[in-house]
Amino acid sequence: MKYLFALVALVSTSFLNAQDSISGVVFGTSEAPLANVLITASPDEKETRTTADGRFSIPALADQTLTFFLEGYEPFILTVTLGDNVRVTLQPIGFEDEPYQNVQLAIINLSDDELSDENDALDNISGLLQSTEDVFLRTAAFEFSPSFFRVRGLDSDNATVMINGLPMNKLYNGRPQWSNWGGLNDVLRNRELTQGIVPSDYLVGGVLGTTNVDTRASNYGKGGRVTVSSSDRSYNYRFLASYGTGQLEKGWSAAFAIGNRWGGSGFQDGTFYDAQSLFVSIEKQWKSHSLNATLIATPNRRGKSSPNTQEVYDLKGIKYNEYWGTQSGEVRNSRVKRIVEPIVMLNHKWTVSPKTSLRTNLGIQFGELGNSRLDYPGGANPSPSYYQKLPSYFLTQNDGPDFEGAYRYEEDFSINGQLDWNRFYDANLTNNRLNLPAAYVLYEDRSDDTQLTANTILRTQFNDNITLIGSLQHRSLRSENFAEVLDLLGSTGYLNVDAYEGFQFDMNNPDRMIGVGEKMRYNYQFAAQISEASAIARFNYPKISGFLAGGFSSTQYQRDGKYKHEAYPTTSYGKSKKLTFNGGSIKAGLTYKITGKHILQLNGALIDRAPSLRNSFSNARETNAVVGEQAGRPLNQERITAADVSYVYRSPILTARLTGFYTHIQDANEISFFFAEGIGGDTSSFVQEIMQGIDKRHEGIEMGIEGQIFTSFKLKGAAAVGRYTYDNNPNVYLTSDDFGYLDFGTAKMKNIRLSSGPQQAYSLGFEFRENYWWFGMTANYFDNTYLDVSPINRTQNFLLDRDGLPFSNYDPEQARELLQQEKFDPYTVVNMVLGKSWRLGSNFMGVFLSVNNLLGETYKTGGFEQSRNANYNELLEEVNGAKRRFGPKYWYGRGTTYFLNMYYRF
Amino acid sequence: MNTKSLFKSVFILLTTISLLGCQQDDHFEIPFETGNEENQALNVLLTEIENGAKTLLSVSQVRSYFVSDDVYTFSSDVVVKGYVVSSDKTGNFYKEFYIQDAPENPTAALHVMIDQVDSYNMFNFGREVYINLNGLHIGESRNGNGIISIGGRTNQEGDEVDDMRALDISEHILRSKTIADITPIKVTFSEINSTHVGMYVAVDNVNFIASEHGKPFVDPNDSFDTQRTMEACEGFGKKTFLLETSSFASYKDLPLPNGTGTIQGIVSKTYNGSDFVLTLNDAADAPLTGADCEPLSLDDFTVAFEDDFLSNNLNKWTSYSVSGSQQWGTVGFGNPAPSAKMSGFSGGARNNEDWLITKAIDLTGFDASTAAYFTFDSVKRYDGNDLEVLYATDYDGGNPTIDGTWTALSPALDNNTSSWDSWTNSGLLSLNNVGGAAVYVAFKYTSDTQSAATFEIDNVKLLVE
Repeated sequence: MKYLFALVALVSTSFLNAQDSISGVVFGTSEAPLANVLITASPDEKETRTTADGRFSIPALADQTLTFFLEGYEPFILTVTLGDNVRVTLQPIGFEDEPYQNVQLAIINLSDDELSDENDALDNISGLLQSTEDVFLRTAAFEFSPSFFRVRGLDSDNATVMINGLPMNKLYNGRPQWSNWGGLNDVLRNRELTQGIVPSDYLVGGVLGTTNVDTRASNYGKGGRVTVSSSDRSYNYRFLASYGTGQLEKGWSAAFAIGNRWGGSGFQDGTFYDAQSLFVSIEKQWKSHSLNATLIATPNRRGKSSPNTQEVYDLKGIKYNEYWGTQSGEVRNSRVKRIVEPIVMLNHKWTVSPKTSLRTNLGIQFGELGNSRLDYPGGANPSPSYYQKLPSYFLTQNDGPDFEGAYRYEEDFSINGQLDWNRFYDANLTNNRLNLPAAYVLYEDRSDDTQLTANTILRTQFNDNITLIGSLQHRSLRSENFAEVLDLLGSTGYLNVDAYEGFQFDMNNPDRMIGVGEKMRYNYQFAAQISEASAIARFNYPKISGFLAGGFSSTQYQRDGKYKHEAYPTTSYGKSKKLTFNGGSIKAGLTYKITGKHILQLNGALIDRAPSLRNSFSNARETNAVVGEQAGRPLNQERITAADVSYVYRSPILTARLTGFYTHIQDANEISFFFAEGIGGDTSSFVQEIMQGIDKRHEGIEMGIEGQIFTSFKLKGAAAVGRYTYDNNPNVYLTSDDFGYLDFGTAKMKNIRLSSGPQQAYSLGFEFRENYWWFGMTANYFDNTYLDVSPINRTQNFLLDRDGLPFSNYDPEQARELLQQEKFDPYTVVNMVLGKSWRLGSNFMGVFLSVNNLLGETYKTGGFEQSRNANYNELLEEVNGAKRRFGPKYWYGRGTTYFLNMYYRF
Repeated sequence: MNTKSLFKSVFILLTTISLLGCQQDDHFEIPFETGNEENQALNVLLTEIENGAKTLLSVSQVRSYFVSDDVYTFSSDVVVKGYVVSSDKTGNFYKEFYIQDAPENPTAALHVMIDQVDSYNMFNFGREVYINLNGLHIGESRNGNGIISIGGRTNQEGDEVDDMRALDISEHILRSKTIADITPIKVTFSEINSTHVGMYVAVDNVNFIASEHGKPFVDPNDSFDTQRTMEACEGFGKKTFLLETSSFASYKDLPLPNGTGTIQGIVSKTYNGSDFVLTLNDAADAPLTGADCEPLSLDDFTVAFEDDFLSNNLNKWTSYSVSGSQQWGTVGFGNPAPSAKMSGFSGGARNNEDWLITKAIDLTGFDASTAAYFTFDSVKRYDGNDLEVLYATDYDGGNPTIDGTWTALSPALDNNTSSWDSWTNSGLLSLNNVGGAAVYVAFKYTSDTQSAATFEIDNVKLLVE
């Protein structure tokens, strides 16, 4: 065979080891050592071959991703920790299948869900963690992520995702945008990972690890693969084909992939999926140079699903989604997330000498990101679950409960309860006859980004013990943000005026009628420039190894308003002041090998991080105001202090890791937008809530343990016990078109839990593998998941009447009860996987089934308090009512779902 | 079939399916024929009206079901048709609309209460609607406010109508495809009376009084609504009237216009029903930008006819009794006493038709188009038909029911039937094309055995410019 695909059988440590290296032994299926297996280590770019007894050793100063090649055997890719001694069994081609790979496919399915996120709270980490060898992280990816578990309680903006050494995190919110490369699993599996605080070999990174995907064409073996999948999670069907040419003449190689994922509806009703993927990579190698060009294009669209109040779930079940309705007999979702952001990159690598390499990378990403929704400038609120259409509204009338109304509307909501598209058309057609502008339109909030990234990375092995890495990087972003009419729904035009407050959205073009494809509501640009320099030193001595890394970055942001908003005539149009943040970061880590079996690790980091664009401008759609500006406070960088200590045990039958971690984030900012009643006593307004100077504390322990009980049977367990809280009482102020600026002083947030998924998660499971079959099952228990609280309800405003004095009936005991943070019930989710493969001549077929939440457990994964009733009396009245009108909104986890995957390889 | 070939088949099948994506695209069939369902329902209704299964009532017939201090619930299949004349687009109307019985020259109107906001984009201005009344209620929206309303519910006391639930609207209110051009009915402030409530009217020569100038439509201190005083030239003076605007109207902060012009709006009443008010669909319906009007000056007029009845006789009049034994006469009361009087009551209400007609008023010295105004004061006591006021140029002194071509005037009449002191001026009633000939003006009194009002009239004048 000219190409190889991998299968892992078993990984464990054994033998004694040289601690400045990664070593191990490679076996064939007959338990005989395999000689002459080619092993390449990345990022160190080292190669070696196994000896006659199957052993190998690669000098290394850091964790490496190893690829094992041997003619006639499946290639095998593994990320290993420094000092590891691994035992690898290579499978003859066609012998069995790549169970992990298949599991990965199932898991990437989870990160595909990111497309449907309505709220940032559902930030998914699963994409980060795949193909790791660490049992805890693997469990977090495979078993915990459907519950929106976050490793160490941290947001994914603390993780760095790179393709060929170029960071892919979005400047807007600092997070990786998974869907930018979704559906290309087969060609994106060459990954290098670092965990936690450990820096990558390119950049210093954050405190939640780094991932680098290598897409160089020569890395793909010759051959192809076709995969089809069926699922009821996010998409219904998937098709994926990939082909690699292997090494061609004159140093050329190429790899291609195309994919399609689609479905009428995922688990939640009305969540259609429509995603295509294209991948092309071409490489030319000559002498000591390699030049690679990569194109990744993944246009995708997804119908989103709504968070709902408990009342709504009780009436409609956990699949309910308020965003869709039928039009001409077809399901139409009003909230569609659409992303078309192709990536083109050029990567050059020059191996200057055996010990020194210089990489130069250039990437451009451009395109459109759109989120559609209905606007109703001249119509009633279109939401089918608008509070005035629900039983709770009728049960809590001022003049007593209206039981008939509650009954009628309960009945109506249970039967109908979806968008009434015909009504929107009818309203617009009616308005047409009187020459009135649209009552309803469908529009899209757009962010059209063009981002250029360039870096150059010099790496040199200074001596046998020390490697030095230096890099320079520049990123520049131009982001055009606006709303655009998608569909006038039968109307002749949208009047560009705020129907609620009467403000002109653009005083330079007052009373403008807007047609399809034209901008509306708001229009501004962001410009961002980030220059970074970093240096990393790794050292490795027999007993001790480690790293020291430092970086410096300079960040500049500027907003440029294209509309002159009537509420902000002097601050909306034109350029804002330039925001500049200069900051550094330092990381250090030590690994002490007590013996080959017992290892201690200690890492620490101190990072200054510029606020993301999202958290820099307090109301970017309408003004140039910078966060803190109206309150007279500076906008500071976030400071992250992190440390962790681990004990690792490795023996041939048992692998275990126990880590204690502490992360402290200071001076963070958060901006929220909502409609609040009870601001300053008794007014109600659409407001921007700016919370500044937030400190958060993440502390806890995580552990993973894996035992190879028999050759074909493995037990595994993992646990994460954390405590993630606000650590101070940050400042809160509100702005609004209506009242301008209101300072609320501080919010009593200290010790309130962060709503970062379950803070306790436990998993216990087994894997059984024999005779072309593969079977696994886990039980996962989750606890300490908390609701996201409303800061405004925890400020002075909560107890003050409009005259500025406390409500006369204010009862602190009662208030404590009202503000008690909701903790969700614990729950258990059982997952199962089953795989089987066949050999068909020299080709292969495999099938893989995973069933999640086998027992159909119903559970909340997240939610938030509505800030609608923002003071004591309003909230008291609301809570004491027969039913809550503005109770928290929740997301529920999925019921039982399946993922079926089949592939054919040639 | 072995496992492998089964697998192969499924694989090929799935591959085929997955290559044929068919998820939501952006190209939806646009329902240009929205309202079809509703049209079908309307067609059914019209057929039912035609074959007698349902009965179509006029707006004034429906109004006659109203009983003071009470709510009447329709329990038979009756239907009313009307034209929407209000719009909640600006928020000045809230969960309600008004219909009148015809696009022009309406004779009756109704208030319809629905639990739906932004109904303007459904029951739009000018829309012809049919309301299936079975199961609905008629009564006042607030007891005693004089706004006769159709609604779906009642208050607990059962003396007020409450709105129709949103869920019930489509069942009861059906739109036709007709959107009529509504011609506002021209009135003067002094003419406005309870039959105008809910009608779309136009009043000429209107301005806001000087003390309101510079103020916004709604006073920021008012939580619900603000009344602003308008005035309009009527005859020899100015008549005031209130404009009421909701604090939820989108134009509430606009300054009141400070000129004069024609205002168009819906006649309504204040919260407690004490006063008539005008309400606007939009501030644009009050384009009061012209020059101020000047009231007529008596100096410019010739009094062609005048009778203050101080002579205590009807010498200037022809009294003609078409039927009944009671007749016009003079009485020792008046404004000031004496005055002319007619009552069809004599130990009980009697059938009567009695005309009081001026002797020929000679206008031969005037151009045909010269402005001529008739004015008088009246007081009404006891229930009964209102007086009619008519004029003719070809009356010959005979039975006015067959002699003369009579044109009706629209005087403001006293409507306080419980007082002898509520003297009310008719306003200046314009007579058209009467110059150059003799003109006759008549008061026509009618009564029947059910009711017979008493009318006294005084200070009758015909002024010619």
